[in-house]
Amino acid sequence: MDINGKYFKSYLEREDAFKKQYNAERIKKQHSKGKLTAHERIALLFDAGSFEEIDAYVTPLDTGVEFGKVEKSYGDGVVTGHGKIDGRLVFAFAQDFTIMGGSLGIVHARKIAKVQEMALKMGAPFIGINDSGGARIQEGIASLSGYAVIFNNIIQSSGIIPQISVVMGPAAGGAVYSPALTDWVFMTSHTSYMFVTGPNVVKEVLNEVISSEDLGGAEVHARKSGVANMIYDDEENTIIAVRKLLSYLPSNNLENPPVVAWENDTPEVNEKLRDIVPDDPNKAYDVRDVINLIADRNSFFETSELFAPNIVTGFCRMEGRTIGIVANQPKVLAGVLDIDSSTKGARFIRFCDAFNIPILTLEDVPGFLPGKDQEHAGIIRHGAKLLFAYAEATVPRITVILRKAYGGAYIVMNSRGLGGDFNYAWPSAEIAVMGPDGAVAILYRRELAEAKDPAALKKELVKKYRDKVANPFIADEKGYIDEVIDPAMTRMKVLSAFSALSNKSVKVPSRKHGNMPL
Amino acid sequence: MKPDKPEIKKLYALSNDGHKIPFTLPLKNIIRFNGRDYRIELREDEKYGVHVLWKNRRYPVEIVRTKQNRYEILFNDISHIFTIETPISMQRKKVLGSTQAGNENHIVRAPMPGKIIDVIVRENTEVIRGEALVILEAMKMQNEIQSLVNGTVTRIGVKPGQNVMKDDMLAEIKVK
Amino acid sequence: MRKIKKILIANRGEIAVRIMRTAHAMGIKCVAIRTAAEPNAMYLSSADLIHDEVDETAEIPVFLDIDKLISIARATKCDALHPGYGFLAENAYFADQCRDNRIIFIGPSPDSIYKMGNKTVARQIALKHRIPMAMGSPGSIADEDEALKHAARIGYPVIIKAASGGGGRGMRIVRQSSEMEKMFTLASREAEKAFNDPSVFIEKYIENPKHIEFQILGDMHGNIIHLGERECSIQRKHQKLLEEAPSPALDEELREKMGSLAVRIAKAVGYYSAGTVEFLLDSDRNFYFMEMNTRIQVEHPVTEMITGIDLIEQQIRVAMGEELTIRQEDVRLTGWAIECRINAEDVQAGFAPAPGRIEKISFPEGPGIRVDTGVSAGSSIVAAYDSMIAKLIVTGSDRRHAITNTKLALDKVWIKGTKTTLPFFRMLMRNNLFQSGSFTTAFIEKDIERYHCNSEYEEMIAAWLATKLFVEENLTEKKNNISFGQGKELTPWLLRKRLTQF
Repeated sequence: MDINGKYFKSYLEREDAFKKQYNAERIKKQHSKGKLTAHERIALLFDAGSFEEIDAYVTPLDTGVEFGKVEKSYGDGVVTGHGKIDGRLVFAFAQDFTIMGGSLGIVHARKIAKVQEMALKMGAPFIGINDSGGARIQEGIASLSGYAVIFNNIIQSSGIIPQISVVMGPAAGGAVYSPALTDWVFMTSHTSYMFVTGPNVVKEVLNEVISSEDLGGAEVHARKSGVANMIYDDEENTIIAVRKLLSYLPSNNLENPPVVAWENDTPEVNEKLRDIVPDDPNKAYDVRDVINLIADRNSFFETSELFAPNIVTGFCRMEGRTIGIVANQPKVLAGVLDIDSSTKGARFIRFCDAFNIPILTLEDVPGFLPGKDQEHAGIIRHGAKLLFAYAEATVPRITVILRKAYGGAYIVMNSRGLGGDFNYAWPSAEIAVMGPDGAVAILYRRELAEAKDPAALKKELVKKYRDKVANPFIADEKGYIDEVIDPAMTRMKVLSAFSALSNKSVKVPSRKHGNMPL
Repeated sequence: MKPDKPEIKKLYALSNDGHKIPFTLPLKNIIRFNGRDYRIELREDEKYGVHVLWKNRRYPVEIVRTKQNRYEILFNDISHIFTIETPISMQRKKVLGSTQAGNENHIVRAPMPGKIIDVIVRENTEVIRGEALVILEAMKMQNEIQSLVNGTVTRIGVKPGQNVMKDDMLAEIKVK
Repeated sequence: MRKIKKILIANRGEIAVRIMRTAHAMGIKCVAIRTAAEPNAMYLSSADLIHDEVDETAEIPVFLDIDKLISIARATKCDALHPGYGFLAENAYFADQCRDNRIIFIGPSPDSIYKMGNKTVARQIALKHRIPMAMGSPGSIADEDEALKHAARIGYPVIIKAASGGGGRGMRIVRQSSEMEKMFTLASREAEKAFNDPSVFIEKYIENPKHIEFQILGDMHGNIIHLGERECSIQRKHQKLLEEAPSPALDEELREKMGSLAVRIAKAVGYYSAGTVEFLLDSDRNFYFMEMNTRIQVEHPVTEMITGIDLIEQQIRVAMGEELTIRQEDVRLTGWAIECRINAEDVQAGFAPAPGRIEKISFPEGPGIRVDTGVSAGSSIVAAYDSMIAKLIVTGSDRRHAITNTKLALDKVWIKGTKTTLPFFRMLMRNNLFQSGSFTTAFIEKDIERYHCNSEYEEMIAAWLATKLFVEENLTEKKNNISFGQGKELTPWLLRKRLTQF
């Protein structure tokens, strides 16, 4: 073709018009809010030069001017396509707030659906960057059905390919379900919101005045509702984190997670591990110190850090291989299990199970949080979720009991009976039906009531209980624990256990799906 | 359209008190100070652990904490906190800073009744989001009360050994 | 005269190490006590015999348990016991109990401990012997009304002090009569809590004085000498941070005057062993007796460095009944010594304790440098005891050289694992007011803005490090690192399962 001929000229003219659409003014508008444009976000997300945009020139549906005007523009407010992240194929969409407020019209929705379907066909991860004012009112029901198709696609792909949502602007009304249904939700502080009903309607209906930030800002969702798993102060850091998370995950549920070249700079035996758990059982410590000493250096990526901080979940690597970690956090609420931590743990475990990620559980749990609030809100149901998730998981599962492991909570945290593959305990472990104070108070109620010095007698009995009942060596001798290990050797033991489990294959009963309490 | 990955040519180290120290990329092992260039190296060995070699002297260094782009470096026994910003994030900070309410006082309240076991921070300490302020013991469990904001502690409302009720004021933080 | 062959060290940390060093040099064996809080502490390795006291359920720590200490001394057949400083060192009843159990208490007599320990008694003795003191109430005060009367007589500002203790507790400054009631209540309540005795007395409050103390040494034969003074005005909330000997504020004349008065008051209670008489020096070079400490003090090394006398050795000799071989005219102060108390505290957080584990620790060595420490690599600074890591004592031919040498020595101290007060001392050595020598006890609270100096280059280096980390973590393309291929290699066993499970 003659590049000076009329065909090529039309091609260039259109390219020009496209560039003009994404002019400096539009870009400035987005920047003035502290946000990046859709193309800038895509550029940061994908490896340099690897992104191929699809349907860039698609134009919105012409509604025939029924209600409101529709701006004629290329792309219909969303950038879709595929590219490479760390060299691996990933499909993505990024809504463009500068075009009609990123609102979702039927064409916009079709674009997204197209890449979703392709991702499922190719078995590649899918990332959605949300920055949209919501359904396009002008297009009426067509917009809503657009959403429905998108949601359906997410659900059909759920557990087959990893799906990540990055909320970098508003996502309101029906639009929130798109992130809610995906595996991981990232939000950027102060410039993104998610709520089903916005502040305006809240004011109208309930006469309650609340800002977008307070109703559904990043902080709220990261801390209170648990809808957002990871939040960051600015967009660059958010996208860097998305890339980081992806590096731990396989492309689809038939593959194993990628292996990273490992620097061999984490000692297998580390005496510092012995210093972490204090001798005083009422003193707290940060379980992340344990994680950081066991995992490959700097490889721990914590998820849902601000939500239910009494349980720590996240991915790490051991000898370059992804391991999912679930750990009770003694320094928050003494590491008890409650509703939020049970659901946080359960969802994480199910994700790991879906994507062939082995799970390491670090246990130090004194029980479930007592009280009317928890009981009435259904701790029974929610605690059952965690139990169900553990037992259902067929990936390799290892538990290391660091300190307390009492009663129901002991059972729930991946005990042997639930199918845990290897259960180790540190010498500081206390495995019992209940803690020493409670047990002594019940078993020796009469003796304590009649004693001359009940405080001294209690002290003595507690000590005896710790020595005879709660110590891990007994559980070891009875076979409920595989081995009591030297804390310094934890990494070595865990590595060898996971290595033995690498070929684990468990026959799953054939059923449509279990009925997990919800 | 094939968007270009923005090439970052400059980074800014932003300290807590607003000092902005620019660095051009690629980062070289050279620091420019008082008009002269000095060579700097980060080393690690058996005897000294991780240390910095500068002007022919060794200085102890420890990376205390990293979170996102915030780094706490313990250098020569003094703690320095920096966030590393790209030109884009500097721009964003500027834009958002002007629209947000500055200098609000954030009040940290007790989430449940209990006893204060330990007060970790002092008045006029700088804290970052997530940092522990006090340890509250409730029902024999130790609970770390964390700061929700970055800022400076202006007031501590409790003492070790003190009993508190739910929603009692624990600390006041002036938000940065 | 009673020969001492074995001493029970009723203390821990650096002073335990210090005492044992001298005792061993004298051929005396030492028994140390191991506690549950620090079972691997450094001082234990100096002992000839270790007594294990690992009962975690004990109500009071062993070093405060009189009965237990006595029984340990008897069980281990110790002739003597050294209480160190702090703990029970100034407990007259303890000294008494030792005596009753025929254990030599290496310190003064119970009577002098009692007399000087009770501040109102001490004041009365000082009054009787015409020792200059701040005007004050002759004894303890019953209530606010009496306090007001005395205050009116003395003139504001006044300070309310606890009769049975010190260290800043039970102390309140009152600047006007309207504050008296509140301060009185606060002071006596605090005194009761800290020393089990709510009695307080009133003194004129001297604004911004210098804290000068004299080292006393006496024997059981009535000989008492002084070994010069120490300048201890660098304090924070009544805790000393840095001490030096001699003081830049004293000349020979003043030293002679104050020294002989210190000896006089020690003689008044028949004092023997080591002790310290504290004075306040105001801006007009008037001095006032404050109190006497009837024990060996933390900062004793600076005196040792400029006099060449081993105070612990002298204590032991005196306790054995020997007569002092040093006469006042033999005491010569040569050179200058500065001691920095290096604690595990976060200077940037207002000296908040920073407990932790010492990973690496090394000190400069050389003539004129002395390090007294109880901590080694691997030690943990426990919250149960104090936060002291080490005392760095540096000498010089004069004050200027001592400061320069201290500055150089500080730069060579290498401690990794916890934050320390080193930045404070580094700043101090460069501070003009400190260098001038005319600082007062108000120095830390009023005369400095920050507790450390932030040199520009330090900030730049830290910034560079942070940037380097950021670049390594986020901006280097790690594409080659990740192998997706390995994740796709599945054994047939696994493959079968994955293919058939759906």
